[in-house]
Amino acid sequence: MSQQTAAPAKEAKPAPPKPQRPPVPPVPPEFQADRIMKLDAPSLIRILQDPNSSEFEKSKACMQLALVGDKNAVPALAALLSNPKLSHYARFGLVPIPDPSVDEAFRATLSTAKGTLLVSMIDAIGQRRDTGAVEALKPFVYGSDKDAALAAIASLGMISGPAAPVLLEALQKTSDPLRKEVAAAGLVCAEMFLNRGERQQAMDLYTRLSQPDIPKVVRLAAMHNILAAERH
Amino acid sequence: MSDKAKSVSRRQFTAGAALAAAPLFIPSHVLGQRFGSTAPSDKITFGGIGIGSRGTSSVRAVLSYQDARFLAVADVRNDRREAIKTMVDQRYQDNGCKTYNTHEELLDRDDIDGVIIATGDRWHTPMSILAAKAGKHIYCEKPCSMTIEESQALKAAVDRYGILYQAGCQRRNGKNFVLAMNWAREGKLGKLKALHCNAGTGTIWPPKPTHDWLPAEPEPAKEVVDWDRWLGPSPWRPYNSHYVQGRWRGYFDFHGGGILEWGSHTADLCQYANDADDTQPVEYEPQGANTTPYFVYCKYANGVELIHRDAFWLGLGTCSVRFEGDNGWIETGDSGKIMVSDNLKGELPPPEQGNAFNLTLHYHWRDFIECIKSGSQPKSNATAAANTHIGCHAAYIAYQLGRKLTWDPVKQEFVNDDEANRMRTRELRAPWRLV
Repeated sequence: MSQQTAAPAKEAKPAPPKPQRPPVPPVPPEFQADRIMKLDAPSLIRILQDPNSSEFEKSKACMQLALVGDKNAVPALAALLSNPKLSHYARFGLVPIPDPSVDEAFRATLSTAKGTLLVSMIDAIGQRRDTGAVEALKPFVYGSDKDAALAAIASLGMISGPAAPVLLEALQKTSDPLRKEVAAAGLVCAEMFLNRGERQQAMDLYTRLSQPDIPKVVRLAAMHNILAAERH
Repeated sequence: MSDKAKSVSRRQFTAGAALAAAPLFIPSHVLGQRFGSTAPSDKITFGGIGIGSRGTSSVRAVLSYQDARFLAVADVRNDRREAIKTMVDQRYQDNGCKTYNTHEELLDRDDIDGVIIATGDRWHTPMSILAAKAGKHIYCEKPCSMTIEESQALKAAVDRYGILYQAGCQRRNGKNFVLAMNWAREGKLGKLKALHCNAGTGTIWPPKPTHDWLPAEPEPAKEVVDWDRWLGPSPWRPYNSHYVQGRWRGYFDFHGGGILEWGSHTADLCQYANDADDTQPVEYEPQGANTTPYFVYCKYANGVELIHRDAFWLGLGTCSVRFEGDNGWIETGDSGKIMVSDNLKGELPPPEQGNAFNLTLHYHWRDFIECIKSGSQPKSNATAAANTHIGCHAAYIAYQLGRKLTWDPVKQEFVNDDEANRMRTRELRAPWRLV
């Protein structure tokens, strides 16, 4: 038996009373969401377009549009991508909408967004698996913004397919710590190939990532995945 | 979405991996970051990330073992960093426990084999993926994910790096639960008909969390509470101290409601009892209002029913489960007590002595540590955890939508329900991601 199950104390003392936690305050009317979450898509879009809507109202409208929005919601959501407080909510609403105009909206931000907003846009492109954005993402890998570089590398891994040569090139042209992230993205890229049934592309990538010049964690992982793929 | 993107969706990215058994072929210690630099007799070293009251139980378990050592803690709250350091240093009679404000500093350490992740639920999957990328074995509290997509991404990352993962679903190793699950698996109950899992109490954590915000309060200094880091991947909202003081449950951005909170334990036991660790139920039908009593009636492809319910239990403790077959039934819970149908009463072993909760946690931790040594898969490995959580998320989505849903475990999608399918995922706030 481990020492973890401690024997009871020899002289039981009454436990001190637990301090009472203050009650949770009531939700103020302006932060009550139910009325918004029940609205249809046109009403939600009107909230986004209304200059008198609060940030709370707009944030909840974005979240609900993630479930019920279609291409008609894209312009109103895309208009918020540059808003520091609401950009994430706009992304939250946009990414699940199955319309090419969403990809165009995210790509359009790449030339203007900065800092965390730029990282968020690049992440969204990766989440969308937007193969049309590979060339647009490539410069960020070598740019001065390291956070944007990390995001671009991760997104290229998720996009896979045409992004694979970009990652292989980056393995040659980058140095640690960025190169380690490139190698890690290569693992993701190979996984995507495997999941699509493109076994040879996956194995080629894993083989490259199992070479001695690759950071140890990724190299061991690549070997592990080669063995796993061989077994399947 | 572009045509190409449609054909290479993020579902495909992870779905294939989410269903299969864990493909580990190299013993895990080979893939551990310290391979080659330590002797097998070395202690297994751990760090903790986001250690509150629940995580403290796991830290205590590590501190009690001769073959393990706790080295460091990272937390966005300074009071918690200091509390863990004090506890650890008292146990080891030294000043060795390091404290970090950020998890990156802890994950960067080459001398740490595994991490205990006991943050709020919102952080569990992104943090697990970061830990996997760092080559660390992972003990992660449950619920392990916020969405179906996170469940898939979690398993994919664990498989990708070949590390070991143990979800904090400790009842899988609790003696009374193991006996019940084995009776179901071995046919003692006859042909399985129905598996019941306790969904908590709908009055405490309703099945549908709220989208409301608490009133804004002034943010504390970053050194005291780093609010941005506390939120992490969740959408921004104004600071309120109640969230940080452990009252974040029941809010949609942070919590999956009672179904996920409890189902991650109890549906998990049903999955194993039904020998279904590699799949999920195919039907989900909710019943009840957003309080007690509530139910979600699910069905596996093999015809066995799975019923999430928060009421009408026999009073055997929290996290009760009941397994019914055509030759009898068995019910047990956190009290450690077991009740069975009359025809099976003579087959019950004497009850285990001791504190059932502590013993169960101890068995679960020993399972994890022994697996790190041997390279075997722990009971609550990433495959089992991911599939349990996907099923619970599906039940949770059915409850939110208030309609019956059909799920395709192979395609990892709801059948003919676009709204439900969109609920499989939610966007993480930058710079946090699922790779």
